[in-house]
Amino acid sequence: MRLILAILLCKVLHWVGGLIGKGSSLPGQLALKLCPDVLSRVKLPAAVIAVTGSNGKTSTTEMIASILEAGGKKVVWNKEGSNQIEGIATLLLTNCNLSGVVQGDVLLLESDERYARHTFKWFHPTHFVITNLYRDQLTRNGHQEWVYQAIQQAVFPETTLLLNADDPLVSRFAQGHSKDKVRWFGLEKSTTSTTEHHGVYNDGLRCPVCFGPMAYSLYHYAHIGHYQCTACGYHRMRPNYAGTELDLDKGVLTVNGKTSIQLAFKSIYNVYNILAAWSACAEIGVPESTIAQALNSYILKNGRMVSFTLGSRKGVLLTSKHENSVAYDTNLGYIAAQKAPCEVMLIVDAISRKYFTGETSWLWDIDFNQLAVPQVKKVWLCGKYVNDLAMRMDYTDVPEDRLVLRENIAQAAEELRREGNLPLYVATCFSDRDKLLAHVVRD
Amino acid sequence: MSKEKKAQETGVRTLQLLHLYPDVMSLYGEYANIAILRRHLEAMGIAVSLRTLSFDDTPDFTGADFIYMGAGTERAQKEVAARLVPHKDAFVKAIKGGAVVLFTGAAMELLGRSVVDVQDNITPCLGLADYYSVESDKRDPVDVVAETELLGRPVVGFMNKCSVTKSVDTPLFEKVTLGFGNEGEHGAEGFVQGNVFATHLTGPLLVKNPAFLDLMIERLFARKGWEVPEDLPILPYEREAYTVTLTELTARIGHHGK
Repeated sequence: MRLILAILLCKVLHWVGGLIGKGSSLPGQLALKLCPDVLSRVKLPAAVIAVTGSNGKTSTTEMIASILEAGGKKVVWNKEGSNQIEGIATLLLTNCNLSGVVQGDVLLLESDERYARHTFKWFHPTHFVITNLYRDQLTRNGHQEWVYQAIQQAVFPETTLLLNADDPLVSRFAQGHSKDKVRWFGLEKSTTSTTEHHGVYNDGLRCPVCFGPMAYSLYHYAHIGHYQCTACGYHRMRPNYAGTELDLDKGVLTVNGKTSIQLAFKSIYNVYNILAAWSACAEIGVPESTIAQALNSYILKNGRMVSFTLGSRKGVLLTSKHENSVAYDTNLGYIAAQKAPCEVMLIVDAISRKYFTGETSWLWDIDFNQLAVPQVKKVWLCGKYVNDLAMRMDYTDVPEDRLVLRENIAQAAEELRREGNLPLYVATCFSDRDKLLAHVVRD
Repeated sequence: MSKEKKAQETGVRTLQLLHLYPDVMSLYGEYANIAILRRHLEAMGIAVSLRTLSFDDTPDFTGADFIYMGAGTERAQKEVAARLVPHKDAFVKAIKGGAVVLFTGAAMELLGRSVVDVQDNITPCLGLADYYSVESDKRDPVDVVAETELLGRPVVGFMNKCSVTKSVDTPLFEKVTLGFGNEGEHGAEGFVQGNVFATHLTGPLLVKNPAFLDLMIERLFARKGWEVPEDLPILPYEREAYTVTLTELTARIGHHGK
């Protein structure tokens, strides 16, 4: 009876919330109060896919949903991105019938890396995709080993793990897990892989198992690559779902040596998201041809990359998470790879949109030296933390006379509109991007 | 002839900075502490040599005027303890010789007696001070404003710990107005004794706090018997950045949670 009440309450509140435009966690929160074990009482679809990790959760989840739908499956998923237990309760209960049966073929959950253990106390995923683990929002997450321990509490013996073979810390989840319940995705040598590590710091120096020195035969980015511990032998596993060929310039990825897909977004991140999504969908029986077809026409929907016009300039905004140097580095690399002359704008105004912090240490973990290339003619530094940005740039090879400091974002936008015609690349976070986008014409 | 000796003979003042374990004790941009110290010293015409000690190297503190270790994960901290403790005597000798020491983040705990983890495993540490740290399964990374009479203004920063440190007799900060002290919210924080400074503040502490940086410089000058100039160098943006962060954090004091 409580279950039915909780379901009804959740449905009604969700409907009302939809009318007044309120968030998606409150109905679930109240339903959990009414019936605390409600999540273990609902009947779930046969396939329950969870996606977690530092980066790529949302993109990978969206991709999986799109492929599954193309494969004719009805997917229940948290597309609103509320990935903590209350949001997941809302999702499940609003998609239940009154007997408590979730109406779908697949339940797909983007799951917060620190809270997965709370959600999966009540039910266990059949498939758990873990994308990567690195320095991300330390003001919230502590550090990646701490997050590793938190996720470990959400890993259950019956769950099939879909792991990034190229991330040594993620690969460690396979230790102690039944071998036939681990599947790997990863990327082989590509046109952009290197033998040297790139970046300000290297979190792949020591073995996550024995702390011995690691040796990499190649790096894709940060500490993601092909590794082996020289002390205990811990090593990268051979992927079941491998990007066997990748040409990022041309934007072509070949999976398992036979299926090629055209990348809508030529970023190494996108490649890993595709491989992660591919592995999850293939594991639950979607034919490879369907996966490839869905991915070929797949356009990133979340608007992380926004094209715009500002005066005589064409612009591209690359959403770059603050407090996440790896993601930020990838975007700076994308900008630095442009061949034509351009200008760059970096904005740090509010560090997070979700919580308060004045923390700027992460600026020192970002490899801003990537912008010290001749085609980057100017670097505009904007926002409240303009001085922190300027100090950081002072420790790179970017010449001082290329820097333009403008605390006021609107003023910078106005100057950029009035003068100059070079393309503009903007790197900033969700928390700050609308402060610029309010002044441009979006394409 | 070594660069250092040559510099000495030509009357150029020299300082050696030693960065301990930047390969593993580097949670969050810690290298910037050394970079900014070096730049300020060089702005004063001092020839700075930087030595780094990596995890697989044998510890050697010879000739170091400034010894720095940054924050690391709980795991890295314990691995480092095992490497460092056998060389405790050499470390103590360097300190007795007047070297300026700064240990930040989890490195602070290494100066104490021991660290106890959640399974009650005890990791022996350097034992320079009589304090000890106890880890828990809770972690609350937090912005920090801390006050010490050694500096005329508050120190700003960030703390990322899952432990409490007990029995510190001589804390560095008398009180923490935002964030956690050694044993809990708002209490005294860190450790200081002579030229040895330790705090659980993480990241580029000296970058964020020009006054703390100046204190390190003053102590280094005193160690060398050099006269401290009336005006230490002020490099662009440093004070402005500090003021913005202090203003932002001060506005948060009294708010609960984040």
